[in-house]
This record gives sequence, C-alpha cells and structure tokens, in this order.
Amino acid sequence: MPADVPPAQADREVALIADHLFREEAGKLVSVLTRIFGVERLQMAEDVVQEALIRALHTWPFHGVPANPAAWITQTAKNLALDRIRREKLLRSKESEISDFSERWSSQFGAGEVPIQSEIEDSRLRMIFVCCHPSIPEDAQASLALKTLCGFGTGEIASAFLTSEAAIAKRLTRARQKLRDDNVPYEIPSGEDLGDRVDGVLKTIYLLFNEGYKASSGESLIRKELCAEAIRLGMLVAQHRSGDRPRTHALLALMLLNSARLGARTDPAGSLVRLESQDRSVWDQETIARGLRHLGLSASGGELSWAHLQAAIAALHCTAKDYESTDWRGILALYDDLMRLDGSPVVALNRAVAVAHVHGPKAGIEAVEAIRNRDSLESYHLLYAVMAEFEVQLNDFDAAAEHLRTALKFTETASEREHLSKKLHTCGLHRQA
Amino acid sequence: MHMQATSEYLFLIRGVTSYEALSPDEMQSEIQKFMSWVDGLKNQGALKTGQPLFAEGRVVTGSKAHGVSDGPFVETKEAVGGYLLIEADSLEEAVEMAKTCPVLSLGLYLEVRPVAERCPLMVDEGDLAEATA
Repeated sequence: MPADVPPAQADREVALIADHLFREEAGKLVSVLTRIFGVERLQMAEDVVQEALIRALHTWPFHGVPANPAAWITQTAKNLALDRIRREKLLRSKESEISDFSERWSSQFGAGEVPIQSEIEDSRLRMIFVCCHPSIPEDAQASLALKTLCGFGTGEIASAFLTSEAAIAKRLTRARQKLRDDNVPYEIPSGEDLGDRVDGVLKTIYLLFNEGYKASSGESLIRKELCAEAIRLGMLVAQHRSGDRPRTHALLALMLLNSARLGARTDPAGSLVRLESQDRSVWDQETIARGLRHLGLSASGGELSWAHLQAAIAALHCTAKDYESTDWRGILALYDDLMRLDGSPVVALNRAVAVAHVHGPKAGIEAVEAIRNRDSLESYHLLYAVMAEFEVQLNDFDAAAEHLRTALKFTETASEREHLSKKLHTCGLHRQA
Repeated sequence: MHMQATSEYLFLIRGVTSYEALSPDEMQSEIQKFMSWVDGLKNQGALKTGQPLFAEGRVVTGSKAHGVSDGPFVETKEAVGGYLLIEADSLEEAVEMAKTCPVLSLGLYLEVRPVAERCPLMVDEGDLAEATA
C-alpha cells in the first residue's frame, strides 16, 4: 500500500447530513408539488420526491454531500417533475403545463430558488386539511399525514401503529383514491366550514400524539417520535391565521405538557413509572413553559373544549412540586367539567382518582361504582388497579390483592405487568404482617 | 520479470435496488454508510476514481432497423449503476474490499474485474532484448 497517502485525505471525515433532513425535506416537497400538480396527482408528487432522494443516494457518496443539501434535493425534485411532465403522453399541451409548473414553482420558491417560507407553510397547511378531509376514513388520516407531510415511510408508519406494512399501504392507496374520487380541493377551508375542519385536524393530530405517548420502551423509537411529529403539526396549524384558534392552542398545551414528562415515565430498566413516583427533576421545564404559554393563548374566546380541560389538568400536574401537594381540588373541578362534555367511563375513572385525593379512598370507591356504562371498562386493567389502590389505602389488602390479580389478567404491556406484580407482592407482605 | 506491487480492479455496481421501498430516513442512513465506505477506500489510498451512472441512456447495436434504442432499464438485473476503479495488491484483496460495500444489503451486487494493464501475450522489445542479450 502506498505510504505517501496525503494526510488531508486520511483525516477527512465523512460529511454528516443533519438528522432527519431527508424526512423533513420530503414532507415539505410533497406538499409543494401537490399544490402544483393537484391533489389527484398526489402519488406522482410522492414518486418525484422519492426519486430525488434516490438520486442523492446514488450520487452523494461519490461526489460528496452538497453545500446546501436541502436546496440540492429541491432543485432535483423540480427537474424530475419537469421531466415527468414532458414524458406524460396524455397532456394535450405540454408547453403550457410546463410554463404553469414553472410559474407555480416560482410562487413557492421565488426566482432564486430560495423558498418563500410563508408560501411553503401555506402549502403544508393545505396538505393537513387534505389529509384530514372528512371523506378520508379516520384511521387513514393520520397515516396519510405521516406519509405525505412528515416524510415517514410505509414501514415506519406500520411500526408506529403496530400494524402491517401491507395494511398501511392499502389504507394509503384507498385514501388517495378517495381524494381523486371526491375531488378534494387543495385549499384551506373558509367560512362556516373552517371551525369543524380545524376540529377534525386537531382530532387526528391528538390521535397521533396518543399513539406516541402510550408507546412503551422496547417498542420502536418511531412510536415515540409520533409525539414530536404531532406537536410539529399542531404548531403548523397554530401559526397560520386559519388555524390560530383557542382550541388549537389548548391541544398544543396538552401535548407539550404531557410530552414534557415523557422522560420520567420509564425508569432506566424500561418499566413504567406512575405519576406519583416520577422523578420530577427530569421533567422538561422548557417544554412545560411552552405548554403553559399555549394554555394562556387558549384562554380567549370563552370556549371550554375537552382540549382546554385536559390541558388545564395537565398544567396542574406539571406545576405541582410533588404528587401530594398537587391541587387535587382544582383537578376534580376540571374533571367535573370534563364529565359534562364527555362523560366517558375512562374520564370518570380518572375523576374517581381525583375524588379519592380530595375526599378519601371510600369516596373514590363509591365514585368508581357510580360510573355509568362501567361494562366497557370490564377488561380495562386500570379499573382494577385504581380499585386496588383505594383498598390499600383502606388497609384491606385481601380486596386489593383480588383486584390486582384481575388487573394482571388484562394488562397488555410487560412494564405494566411488572408494576402490578410488585404491588401484588407488597400486598402479600402486608397480609402476612 | 516486471513485478507490480498493485493492480487495478474495476468494481461494477449492478442489479436491482430496493431503494423505492426505503423511507427518507432510511435513505439518509444508507447514504452515510455508502459514503463511509467510499471514504474508507480513499483513506486507504485504494480509490482511484468512481462515478455513478444515470439510467437514461441509449443502447447502440449494429442492427440497421433498431440501431439505437432507449435503455438499458434499471429494472434489469444486469443494469450497471456505477463503477469504482480500485487499486489493490491482488484480486483477493479487491474482493475483500468489495464484500464490505453497504449496497450489497440493498439487493445490488458488485462485479470485480481485473483491469488488463498489459496484454500477457505482448512482449516488450526491451524484454526480448534482455532475454537474448
């Protein structure tokens, strides 16, 4: 081997591309190209972007990462899009299509290929409304948003929703077909429609967030990334005048306040840590501050949606020094309000926990027994876990153990199982004493 | 006999890729891997040159009727996606280098061809002169 390798070459480090750059650029470009080609050619927009990334994969290792990778990908996508137009045999007038394309491209990117931020955000917001259009089945909306707006791959979405890649692919194909069949326009709704449409978007964003939030350790990292993506989408909605509504800020507050606590939810071994035992010093104070700021922004307009109430409850937890000194009366009052809006059994169960903190465990048990439609909770492990907790506080360890055994029958994750087993063991010790 | 310490080998990257199935994040990761591999070869002093090849080319044959046609197409197993010109001590060493290429996990394969620097049948006039001197 030649001994005279120039030292500069030997020291050269592999140029790094910013984390998730491809994913973010893909999301941005699909929105822009869909704006230009039309919703009915969504698949084409996705294909062009994918091709541009493949070009990068093909050439960058040989020629090096370009000085501005995002601009390179954008320019390549533009050229590939023009190629597509030229190749499309069905177009009657390619020249006008090409000049239309160039014009619309310039309106997004300006003459110098520098992206006009507000235009790009406008396209992305339209894309969200398209993905969450009422004619798209609800289970497909989040998948479509992840694919087109967030730049996730089909396999990644499948991991995120704990389903198969084939199932996601089918969902996406049907969704795109629906967009074509129903002639869904690429626009931000206005007037009377806007409120309901924004609600629809927020609902899908929250669904996405919850999938990520309930992800336990051992599951793919993608699951947890959903929380960040949901927040990113929420910010996109909040930053545009059409989406800048109290409820949007309430949802953002809720998501931020919950995600601030994610770091403390599992211990180093990967098991679940309940709110009462979480190390609050690990809570992300900056994110809590952001959440509280959005909570403040949500306080206008006099509306009190489920998002407002959930966010306010989360805020009371986040601002409490510890579990014991939490404002449980305030939380109970909020749950009372929430019950009026959404009297679901799960909300009622959470309310019962607050009741116990304010009025004692006996009241807590009564509150659980008073839950209407309790049968839907029959196989919900937390129902039994909560009852067990009340019984422990009343020193009835036999009853507690009974409930815990039932709970263990219905737990779904290993970390929950471990947590409940430990409690059962502790009950056993108390009974022997 | 002329002893050469190193010889040249051409790596031809061929085959059908699974790029379309990769997510943007995965593609980014593959680029990093490929770049590391190429850089590794450069740092060893083994890489002389290398280029990717675009698929949109032409196939030229001597046939009068269809002398020039579009192609080759990337879907075919024989399609060449790029080449690298390597310096190595032996075919075995070149093969060992090729084995570490990350694109192998994407369904592609590498053809390793020794570059014929001198036709073995051709004899230098100088050699002849030496031999007969």
